[in-house]
Amino acid sequence: MSVAFSDAGRKEFERLLARYPEKEAVILPALHLVQKEFGYVSDEAIVYIAGLLSVAPAQIEGVATFYTMYNRKPVGKYHVQVCRNLSCSLMGAEHLIGHLSRKLGIEPGETTPDGKFTLSEVECLGSCGTAPVMQVNDEYHENLTEESIDAVLDGLP
Amino acid sequence: MPSLTIDGKAVDVPVGTTIINAAEKIGIEIPRYCYHKHLSVAGNCRMCLVEVEKFPKLQTACSTVVTDGMVVRTDTEKVRKAVTGVLEFLLINHPIDCPICDQAGECELQNYYMKFGLHKSRFALEDKVRKKKVQDIGGQIVLDAERCILCSRCVRFLEEVTGTRELQFFRRGDHSEISVFPGRPLNNNYTGNLADICPVGALTSKDFRFKCRVWFLKAFPSVCTGCARGCNVEAFFKGDILYRYKPRVNEAVNRAWMCDFGRLEYKKANNARLLVPFVREDGREKMMSWGGLLPQVAYRLKDAVEREGPDAAAVIASPQSSNEELYLVRRIASDLLGTKNLAFTSRVPGDGFSDGFLIRGDKNPNSRGAQLLRIPGGPAFDELVVKIAAGKVRALLLFGDVLGDLTQEETAGLLSMVPFVAQAGTNEGPVSAVATAVLPIASVAERGGTFTNHAGRVQRFHAGFPPRGKAKDTIGFLTSLANRLGAGWAFDGEASVFRALAATEGPFAGMSYESIGSLGQEAKG
Repeated sequence: MSVAFSDAGRKEFERLLARYPEKEAVILPALHLVQKEFGYVSDEAIVYIAGLLSVAPAQIEGVATFYTMYNRKPVGKYHVQVCRNLSCSLMGAEHLIGHLSRKLGIEPGETTPDGKFTLSEVECLGSCGTAPVMQVNDEYHENLTEESIDAVLDGLP
Repeated sequence: MPSLTIDGKAVDVPVGTTIINAAEKIGIEIPRYCYHKHLSVAGNCRMCLVEVEKFPKLQTACSTVVTDGMVVRTDTEKVRKAVTGVLEFLLINHPIDCPICDQAGECELQNYYMKFGLHKSRFALEDKVRKKKVQDIGGQIVLDAERCILCSRCVRFLEEVTGTRELQFFRRGDHSEISVFPGRPLNNNYTGNLADICPVGALTSKDFRFKCRVWFLKAFPSVCTGCARGCNVEAFFKGDILYRYKPRVNEAVNRAWMCDFGRLEYKKANNARLLVPFVREDGREKMMSWGGLLPQVAYRLKDAVEREGPDAAAVIASPQSSNEELYLVRRIASDLLGTKNLAFTSRVPGDGFSDGFLIRGDKNPNSRGAQLLRIPGGPAFDELVVKIAAGKVRALLLFGDVLGDLTQEETAGLLSMVPFVAQAGTNEGPVSAVATAVLPIASVAERGGTFTNHAGRVQRFHAGFPPRGKAKDTIGFLTSLANRLGAGWAFDGEASVFRALAATEGPFAGMSYESIGSLGQEAKG
């Protein structure tokens, strides 16, 4: 399978390239762009942007697997990411992950058979003051309880 | 120059020196995993923590630059406790599979555990994070991810030395591991160095794995014969078998590295060796003793000269020979046989690949030595080949296992034009397949001498063990041959030959084995 950015994606990539002094620095935004364009970061996409940036694919893989924000596997329509870091854990994140797991019928790291939800545990989302926190696609949901989680998920189309 | 004290000992070092190197200067070894003299400083393993007066916390000796009046202690309880703690962390997820690990015996985890650890594990074996073992990641390397302590030496080597960047850290936390990207294995000519610099058993050599426990091996200093670079090596052996080469540090030649081709050169001393003198009569090989064969060789050479003039004899020298051997060979040809037919060639079959780093196009260790000893090469060799092809040479003394870049067929065709071909060689090859008389000589591991590398650096190699089979040291054989040709030489070993050579050969004037030392010396001109 060969991958390539859309025209708009290509334009955005060129814009990013001009913004940083080092090509390595473009890896992070380029991976976000890959995710936006293709839904997840495939091996092929890594080789593709490695070629565009003239860096080794292994360097991109190193960055892509370090951060939880990059999906190396396809994700569902809604990517439910629950913070498991210190503040959220103190405020009951573990319990909420258990609740989500039971509600969706999947373990963290898995996707529902209908492809609607992927559940992930992630590191600090930077919202400790409103812990526990989860992020569904690009939306933050704060001060979570089992009830508020149900309300959020049930309200999704 | 800053002056400081380390463990009470005073030391002066140049500005910019780090504590770890200042300590080394006065013989104090600070433990380290990630620090490597020939790579950038990473400071991530935390093994080199030391106490520095007036610093509130322990400092990493690899990355702390000394200042004047600094007082460093490497031997306090605080340091020991910290290093033991670091070691315990490093061992938490280590599989401790030493009995099946090839690194055992030269593993820095084992060594430092004995020195700083000796703790009981507080971590249950079944709780350890398991990672993939025995991964063929290309080149000469096998990766065992769970033995890795994430020091990043390999990552830095592939960034800073080869620039190929195949290995990187993937994932994070206790799931971090080094690996290659799927379908992108190691792809450079220096992969063997990764096994050398890996302080643990994560990266081991495919070639050496499970061949021999390292504590059974002894080593001696040598020089790689794979090309004109002359990388300094440490040759490891047991009995009369070489097991591996590892690079020996020489900043002026190969720093701490060697190429993957050179690393396997040791096999030539083990495999397909010529071990018994023999003659070929009517297509049949007849084993001979040295005592029986040597007079015959001398007689045939002398006979050709006496019957048909000095140019009926010819000598082909080898750029695989040492300076000492080449000097004697030239004297045999010029002084004793009186022939003008003396030449060598540095050309070999193959592509003459070079890379601008260590690998040279000239695949011989001593072409420069032959030139400096006034043995003509290149065109002179081609002229001699023409003479031989025309049937003008009646007796040929030939050194080496190949005849320049001639193929097996060309070699056989050419040598069939000479009634008597005596070969002094180490390995079976196109020449030994057709020579009239074969004199087996000692391999580079079985004799001593010097090679002159492409840049004119004269470097010593040493005999690790006596010649195998009936192979003979070349100096001894050349001396007896010369004496049978009327020389009256009294050379006793390569050192005596080098003294004679240094006395008469301009480029080597004033040099001695002492002045060459273990790291070599530039010849003049």
